[in-house]
Amino acid sequence: MASSPDKFSRLAALRPARPAPSRPAALRAPNEEDSLARLIGAGVAKNHFGEHLALRNWFSSPEFCEPSGVALELLSRGRDESLTRRTRAALEDTARWLFLDTETTGLAGGTGTYPFLVGIAWWDGGGLQVEQFFMRDFSEEHSVLHELAARLAERPVLVTFNGKSFDWPLLENRFTMTRAISAPRLAAHLDLLHPARALWKLRLGSVRLVELERHVLDAPRLGWHREDDVASSLIPQYYFDYLRGGSSAPLAGVVRHNQMDLRGLAALFGKINTLLASQDEDRDGVDSLDLFGLSRFLERRGDSDRAQAACTQALDFGLPAEFRQRARRELALLAKRRGDHHAAAALWGELVSDPQDGVLACEQLAIHYERRAKDSVRAEEFARLGLAKLQRTRANSRDPYAAARIARLSEKFLFRINRLAARKRTAKAGIRRLSL
Amino acid sequence: MSQSLAVRAAANSLANASGTAVTRVREVLDTLATRDINGDVLTAIRYFPARNAQFAAFPAWVHPALVAAYNAKGIRQSYTHQAAATEAVHAGKNIVVVTPTASGKTLCYNLPVLHEILERPDTRALYLFPTKALAQDQLAELYDLNQRLDNCFGVFTYDGDTPADARRAIREKGHVVLTNPDMLHTGILPHHTRWTRLFENLRYIVIDELHTYRGVFGSHLCNVLRRLRRIANFYGREPQFICCSATIANPGELAARLLEKDVDVLSENGAPAGEKTFVFYNPPVVNRALGIRRSYVNETSRVAQEFLKRDLQTLVFANSRLQTEILLTYLQQANPQAPGKQETIRGYRGGYLPNERREIERGLRDGRIRGVVSTSALELGIDVGSLDTVVMAGYPGSIAATWQRAGRAGRRSGSSCAVMVASSSPLDQFMVRNPDYFFGNTPEHAFIQPDNLEILVNHLKCAAFELPIAPGEHFGEVDIPDLCARLAEAGYLHLAGDHYHWTHEAYPADTISLRAISSDNFIIIDITGAPNVIGEVDFPSALIFLHEKAIYIHGGQQYHVEHLDFKERKAYVKQVDVDYYTDAVRYTQVRILEASATSSSSSGLANLHSHGDVLVRSQVIGFKKIKFFTNENIGDGKLELPENEMHTTSYWITLERPLLESLPYSVSERQSGMFGMLHALASVATLLLMCDGRDLGTAIGERPPQPDLETSVIGAENSAPLAPAADDFTPTRLSDVSRSNLKEFFEPNLYLFDAYPGGIGFSEPLFRSHDLLIHKTRELIAACACEQGCPSCVGPAGDLVPRTKEAALAILDRLCG
Repeated sequence: MASSPDKFSRLAALRPARPAPSRPAALRAPNEEDSLARLIGAGVAKNHFGEHLALRNWFSSPEFCEPSGVALELLSRGRDESLTRRTRAALEDTARWLFLDTETTGLAGGTGTYPFLVGIAWWDGGGLQVEQFFMRDFSEEHSVLHELAARLAERPVLVTFNGKSFDWPLLENRFTMTRAISAPRLAAHLDLLHPARALWKLRLGSVRLVELERHVLDAPRLGWHREDDVASSLIPQYYFDYLRGGSSAPLAGVVRHNQMDLRGLAALFGKINTLLASQDEDRDGVDSLDLFGLSRFLERRGDSDRAQAACTQALDFGLPAEFRQRARRELALLAKRRGDHHAAAALWGELVSDPQDGVLACEQLAIHYERRAKDSVRAEEFARLGLAKLQRTRANSRDPYAAARIARLSEKFLFRINRLAARKRTAKAGIRRLSL
Repeated sequence: MSQSLAVRAAANSLANASGTAVTRVREVLDTLATRDINGDVLTAIRYFPARNAQFAAFPAWVHPALVAAYNAKGIRQSYTHQAAATEAVHAGKNIVVVTPTASGKTLCYNLPVLHEILERPDTRALYLFPTKALAQDQLAELYDLNQRLDNCFGVFTYDGDTPADARRAIREKGHVVLTNPDMLHTGILPHHTRWTRLFENLRYIVIDELHTYRGVFGSHLCNVLRRLRRIANFYGREPQFICCSATIANPGELAARLLEKDVDVLSENGAPAGEKTFVFYNPPVVNRALGIRRSYVNETSRVAQEFLKRDLQTLVFANSRLQTEILLTYLQQANPQAPGKQETIRGYRGGYLPNERREIERGLRDGRIRGVVSTSALELGIDVGSLDTVVMAGYPGSIAATWQRAGRAGRRSGSSCAVMVASSSPLDQFMVRNPDYFFGNTPEHAFIQPDNLEILVNHLKCAAFELPIAPGEHFGEVDIPDLCARLAEAGYLHLAGDHYHWTHEAYPADTISLRAISSDNFIIIDITGAPNVIGEVDFPSALIFLHEKAIYIHGGQQYHVEHLDFKERKAYVKQVDVDYYTDAVRYTQVRILEASATSSSSSGLANLHSHGDVLVRSQVIGFKKIKFFTNENIGDGKLELPENEMHTTSYWITLERPLLESLPYSVSERQSGMFGMLHALASVATLLLMCDGRDLGTAIGERPPQPDLETSVIGAENSAPLAPAADDFTPTRLSDVSRSNLKEFFEPNLYLFDAYPGGIGFSEPLFRSHDLLIHKTRELIAACACEQGCPSCVGPAGDLVPRTKEAALAILDRLCG
């Protein structure tokens, strides 16, 4: 292989994927070396793996929030696994909780993504104690991880936002990569992303922490503001620039961003806790869509009774038109599951003319009249109505998958109609025989 | 006369054997012989008697439970090569087992690996197969063994189809993980921390079908293995390698190159084989003056039909998708589907969906399907049971592949027959006329160039992502500190302490495909009725087969391409029934980037030959409509499709003005002679290199006026990555593309380039054997019996100006001196 410089410059593999300048425009002067520590008020921490920057800040907001047993149960219970006594005990002791959020060199995961800033926080003195570890270079990773492991040994209950699929697996990778520090064992891990999505996705569309702060947590009263916050997507590049000798100023912004994310996380826990623990009568100021979200979350976690109550309440408070029918459908399904077929039939009756759920309503009503009410005439009526609706949708649909589904459903309806018609014929024949 | 003697001799030897299949095969041979009036159609009939098995007992140390499990499967003793392989692995050696198809290679690795697992239940092994289908096949075999061993170990496939929720269990519980190089590259190595259990206990790496890892794929694999060894070392392991390969000339060398370790070669074969007849069939000449033979595609279909008629299960191999579909059309017409029954003749190739392929494999095994027309997709060890006959449409391009395909007939016992029908390409004609060359020679060498800078740098990035690069680390034979420094400059790496760390947001393995230039796929949507996805093709093929107005043939059904949505990577097609197919016209440009060496010829008139780095641009610029059966050209069209561009290495000859001036021909004759000469040159080059015809691309372009300055260069020939089938140039293209450049003394460069980005090391050997190449090319053309040139020497006469052959010879004479 010739190794002339031309050859290298021609190599597509060496060309940067993005035309972003690899060398920052302004270089740090030597006397600026410790400016980051000064900027963020950090000190150099040392342990036998080396050193890194560390800083602690106490914030009076958010205020300590006592978790309710109901909320903890709902948050930590999976679909069907119930809690072991030990997990339960760990969860109930808030002194063992640790909020965690990391800033990383990318979102791809895998072994080449580094958490260059690890932020942790815990309840302390009525407010929140925030501690952050920053690696000034990759060689400081071991000492950061060692420090984190020590904190987690004291407080093994992790509370994160999307930490189950991102931060924690990434940190586990890093621990494995050291071959020297074993990954700490967690007593429990509460990831607030999933409950937040269930509760507020309907209303907000996006459930990024920033959106939640703005629209759910009452941003002006939070005690911090994000006006000059850094954009998350730029964070890796700021760090890379810093590594190559660029300015440390943007990283001060990243450290602040991480602090706000941790405080937001703790505040979000408080909000979710209140909502999950609330009884019907304390929900006066709650947005009806959030109530509908709550009912869906409760239902998914197997609490159908409270789900039904929340859903009914949401309808009472007045849902936007496009959600009203969906809420009715949920209620109908809940009623059916409960075995309250009359309530279910009444709700389906309201849905027959709905463009989206009309077909489902017709099907359910046909089943109801055939099996429960034993009224084959009405059953056949609804089956025919459902089929007519389906045929109308088919005429307007171009999607091949929808077409296949419609065909399948049509067949089911036809089968039912034929069966009902056949039954009617035998019944008539029987009557005729009798009259003869 | 001698030929008919051969027929009789073969017939006699067959007559001695008994069995109905033998009689039927003989009938077919007799039928073919009657067409061989001049004795130049059946140029070789070789009979290979059955071989008896040579057994050896299982080594005494093998775990008794494992011996019992094999006994229960009916395997009471091993073949000699299996015992030898087991012993060598037990002794801690890296081995490569080289034996033909169906010789029980899987036992060579399953036995020592499972033994170790039974002895030490922590043991882990990683199996690599070139395709997902092969891994599925092996999974079934291992399941069966596991059941007989009370499910004492975990065995799983891990590939793109593995559901996400199953992955965790596989990482923890898989003693044997079956995967492919691509998944290792993108799914396992970058996430090695999830695979701690596997890597900390990794004892064995099994690489099956080693011979498929040649050229660009092999060069990639070598780098993936470098990364794998790095990670294994990180977890304190130095795994042992067990490889299996079909017969090639240099299995030991290839294995040593891929593994970068000492490897023991085990090539003694103790497996039995049924008797086999191998026939070379050269389609009869219909016009001696023009050197035109009957179409080999039609002849293949005729030969296959003779076998099918006698209810012999037949596998037909074609060299391209297009030929597969044409042959399928012919054979399905000849064997119409019985009402209410399933089609008994099926097609099999890359574009078919996996389920359809599995169904065809099953149909072949249980005999419901009587004939299959396939591309090389069925060449590898997918289990389709034993077939009676194999018919190959055209020489598969290499001796190894020919044996591999022939091996699909008569896998273990009974009588079988393989027929190779030669096309009129020079290579085919050489083989069919010199059968001793084929039967007497070792198969090809497999070359790789793992230190191809483009490939290596990409894997170096992945390696840095997986684990920071330590000082003094080796990664191939290149200057790693220098490369790392350059990657750091480009913003990919960062030096912290003395280690280079990955500093980029992107995930490097995602953008690097091990097999092709791009990992893009086009999906094909049939919009005749409700939209329905019928298949997918890779990016380069899409430009050739799915351009607008193309006739795309799938499963014997013709489709007209209505619209090619380039951005969305979708092609919309409608079913049609027309009597023609389309063939894309490509245009290739070569630009010299840097000549590594130039030498003037020692003999003859001054001329130069060189090798070095080039930029190859190719583009589909139009298409021809070709009528079925008669192959008439019934129209053409122009297309505007994007260019494909690659850096590669090339060898080229420059014809200088004095040489051209000495030729007593017109400009067009001279130019036609150059194209003719290049046509023959490429064929001889593939023979000399013992490489596949598809590995080399050709082009002619004007010599740059001054060295190292950019010039536009034209050429119109087959550029290999785009054209699986050899594609002959036509007068249309010559006039369209070249006329503007018909200057009085156009000093041309004749290029033979490596058809892979970065090059895989053919140019330098070609440069060194320049004289031999020229002499052999001259011999090939001079010895051809045609008058005006034919496809077997300088190209089809109908496409050339008169006196092409003469002009080509005259140029070669001058080059030889």
